[in-house]
Amino acid sequence: MPPQIVRLVLLTITIVGSYLVARFFLTPSSFGRYGWYRGEALEELSSRPRSFAGKKACEECHSDECLKLSKAEHHGLSCEGCHGVGQAHADNPDIKIDIRTFSECARCHEANPSRPKWLKQISTKTHYPGQKCTECHVPHQPQEVP
Amino acid sequence: MKTGVSRRNVLGKLGAAFAGIMTATAAKTAKAAVQKVFVSSGAPKGYDPTKHKWLMAIDINKCIGCGLCVEACKKENNVPEGPFFRTWIERYVIPKPKPGSFTTRTEAIVDSPNGGMHGFPEPPVPVGEIEQSFFVPKLCNLCEHSPCVQVCPVGATFDTPDGAVLIDPNYCIGCGFCIQACPYGCRFLNPVTKTAEKCTLCYHRITRGLKPACVEVCPSEARIFGDLKNPVPDDPIKKFYENNRVQVLKPHLGTEPRVSYAGMDKEVR
Repeated sequence: MPPQIVRLVLLTITIVGSYLVARFFLTPSSFGRYGWYRGEALEELSSRPRSFAGKKACEECHSDECLKLSKAEHHGLSCEGCHGVGQAHADNPDIKIDIRTFSECARCHEANPSRPKWLKQISTKTHYPGQKCTECHVPHQPQEVP
Repeated sequence: MKTGVSRRNVLGKLGAAFAGIMTATAAKTAKAAVQKVFVSSGAPKGYDPTKHKWLMAIDINKCIGCGLCVEACKKENNVPEGPFFRTWIERYVIPKPKPGSFTTRTEAIVDSPNGGMHGFPEPPVPVGEIEQSFFVPKLCNLCEHSPCVQVCPVGATFDTPDGAVLIDPNYCIGCGFCIQACPYGCRFLNPVTKTAEKCTLCYHRITRGLKPACVEVCPSEARIFGDLKNPVPDDPIKKFYENNRVQVLKPHLGTEPRVSYAGMDKEVR
């Protein structure tokens, strides 16, 4: 075999060989588990911390409030929708929920022409301005009078 | 007797085989050591993505535009302040056609102040001149043929077997191709991590049996979420498809979004 061909073959083998070695070492072991990507990325993404605990977690301690809510018009509402993020409180009940994350009645019930007609809406400017909603309404049982 | 098999020959071959096995073991150990440096995982086990198929659907008739979902998404996923949203609400205001113009639908005025996170101000058109007005929550449309996955030059974004479209933050180089490719504008470049981000269907919640944060807080059940492979009794997703006539966003693009909208107007894009 002519020497220039031998050199070329050796060079090709070196390049292909080093590529294969690099591929062997650098391909993550979970690559291809589900598809053309790193399978462990799924587990990493699912191990992020949460800030919302979910209604089930609230129910563990506040079952009486949840039961009252489930019988009233607001039964579809999530606790954390109004009361704010609660994972920290669910992990350690001594930590109170930050009151700044609370939502007010007007957030949903302030009149807006874009809102669907089935939703009960009021204008806070004309509907007993200056008074608190809870003076006349019970948030957990909207049909009841306090 | 000459057999052609010499002691030297056999011993040599055995030695080579042994050396080969030793090298393979050493290589495997070395590989594990190399990957420990590059890949680390302290993730929980027990969730099999091939046994689920998650899906979200939106009922426009029920959305009240309170913005709780947008706020919850930001809190849950540490989305930075400013115009960065994994989900947002758009307000469509369709003015009445001018008398004598014989048009049936005028062009919609669309706005989304701060993603609708803090509600919506007075509409841009006087109340008497509004023909139709409604809210449309937007999120990743979970396309069957995702343009964002096709354009990623490093394979950092992918369709998972359980129905989500995710980004591997370790592999994303922040080039922004996917942000341009998404026809629904669902992706953004996180200014802190410099990687692309998008709705993950709250992957860290659904893998633990919780609902995504936006579905959790939605007061009017406008967002419907479920698992197609494990339907529950009275399955919300099944009921949604039984009770509604549905449409997807931009069907002409051929992306085949899996997120369906009920009560959609032709003006919604």
